[in-house]
Amino acid sequence: MAPASVVISPSGTAAVRVASALSDREAGWRLVHHLARFVDEARVPGVVCAIPTYDAVLIEVDPAEVSLARLGDYLAQVVEGLDHDRPLTATPRTFDVPVLYDVDGELDLPTVAEAQGLSVQEIVRLHSEPTYVVRCLGAPGGSPMLDGPPFPHPVPRLASPRAHVPQGVVSVAGRQATITPAAAPGGWPLIGRTPLVVLDLAAEPFVPYEPGDLVRFRSIDRDEYESLLSTRMVAR
Amino acid sequence: MTAGAAPTGASAAGVLTVVEAGSTQITDLGRTRGPRYGVPVNGALDQRSARVANILVGNPDGAPLLELTALDLEFVADVDTLIAVAGADGHLTVDGVGRPSNEPVSVRAGETVALRQLQGGLRAYLAVRGSFEVPLLLGSCAPDSVLGFGGRLVAGSEIALRSATAPIFNDHFAAELYSLDVPRVAHGFIVDVTDGPDIEDFADTAARLFEQPYLVTPTSNHIGLRMTGPLPERRTTGEVLSRGVPVGAVEVPPGDELLVLHRGRGVTAGYPVLAVVTSGSLDVLAQVRPGQRLRFRPVSAVEAAARARAELVELDTLRHRVRSVFAALDALSTPPTGRTLP
Repeated sequence: MAPASVVISPSGTAAVRVASALSDREAGWRLVHHLARFVDEARVPGVVCAIPTYDAVLIEVDPAEVSLARLGDYLAQVVEGLDHDRPLTATPRTFDVPVLYDVDGELDLPTVAEAQGLSVQEIVRLHSEPTYVVRCLGAPGGSPMLDGPPFPHPVPRLASPRAHVPQGVVSVAGRQATITPAAAPGGWPLIGRTPLVVLDLAAEPFVPYEPGDLVRFRSIDRDEYESLLSTRMVAR
Repeated sequence: MTAGAAPTGASAAGVLTVVEAGSTQITDLGRTRGPRYGVPVNGALDQRSARVANILVGNPDGAPLLELTALDLEFVADVDTLIAVAGADGHLTVDGVGRPSNEPVSVRAGETVALRQLQGGLRAYLAVRGSFEVPLLLGSCAPDSVLGFGGRLVAGSEIALRSATAPIFNDHFAAELYSLDVPRVAHGFIVDVTDGPDIEDFADTAARLFEQPYLVTPTSNHIGLRMTGPLPERRTTGEVLSRGVPVGAVEVPPGDELLVLHRGRGVTAGYPVLAVVTSGSLDVLAQVRPGQRLRFRPVSAVEAAARARAELVELDTLRHRVRSVFAALDALSTPPTGRTLP
């Protein structure tokens, strides 16, 4: 039986999803990340990898080695023993991310502002004010997935996704925000660009931050953007 | 970064030079350490055929090999090799002489190997005994178009071979040496799915998935297959947070197409997962061409697991048979005629 703090559902024949059922979103996020780390570190036989996100972790398995039902029972036991109050990182690092916001309207910033009923400047202020927690690494290329800025409404995704979104764009969607480390197709509205290089294929992982680290955005002008191009993203 | 590593001097036993590249890449069973870092698993789309090709030449299942998509391949190696082809049916020739797929085939140094006219499927796999010396990223050589790692071979690409294999021929009867009986996959594109974790979001429209065949559209690739047909509809509203999505997830994004994610899929996405394609049927999807139709079929998790186990047993049986054959050949060989397998 699954404990009340999570819902465990099969996701096909080679994965289970463990979703938090806690009402406290922060605790739920910590819980799924602690669970992911546990299965990584314990090298649970049959577990191929864990993909923790905001409120859920997808655990991929080799079905030849472990049955999903048995794994589910085991994970339920593990969850019972996890302390979801324990912070994810004892000393989070902070990454300052300079952003050339799309005040000239080359990307989607004016559309986002209009949909929120705010000015472009207010959007820039709301986006660059908070300190964001890296919730998880996502697609594409280990994007730092963040909570959205305190906009009045969720941000609608683009009606037709772009076939090519360049690396370094700063985007928002729904109640989420991110930076794109690698060029890929994408349906999130783009509100700016950072000159920083996020991806380093020689490192493992390829991105410098991990879940629990902090991100701050800072508005810069075109000259500063040009001067910072190709600088690596590093912690403060 | 390039797909074909330059020969690494002393460590390379030989070099395979691509004459006609078609749409071929070097890959393996995928970057299993990738998804936890937000990087897709990628790798051979038809995992079973990739395993079969490697097993037939005595390689580990996950050894780097060639994946052909639709188009012809021609190459020459400067050392003797043992190769095997599996997956979509094609016309394999060595210096113009037809040779069988699904069996080990000896090739002498300098002979031209061609694999042409793929049909009945989209992807074929060609393994070389000893495999290739290629760059790895997180333990895998699988190309990743998003990270810009690896890529398609071009005419003139050179691939370092880890070992040479002296030719094994039946001197007396010129008959085939092997009868390995590679299990065939049933024809017809039936794709088995189990219920997805979000099936309830689609209420009574979920059953539309099984009503009629779907037509695969040209925008399909290794990231996902797009298809037209009766679309289930999400009946719930509200923002969906990005979550990890499994390979094989069946989703209904905005627009008029069904999306089935394959091994190049982004690790996280914000669409509810209606159903998930079984591992065996992911191999079927790897062989469907745009313009072809397929049908989804619901299976229980128990049934799907039983079939997956049966497929593993088949591969195990093949692996043992190949080992026995190679062991027997080894026993028969006399060093001066160079029949020994390294």
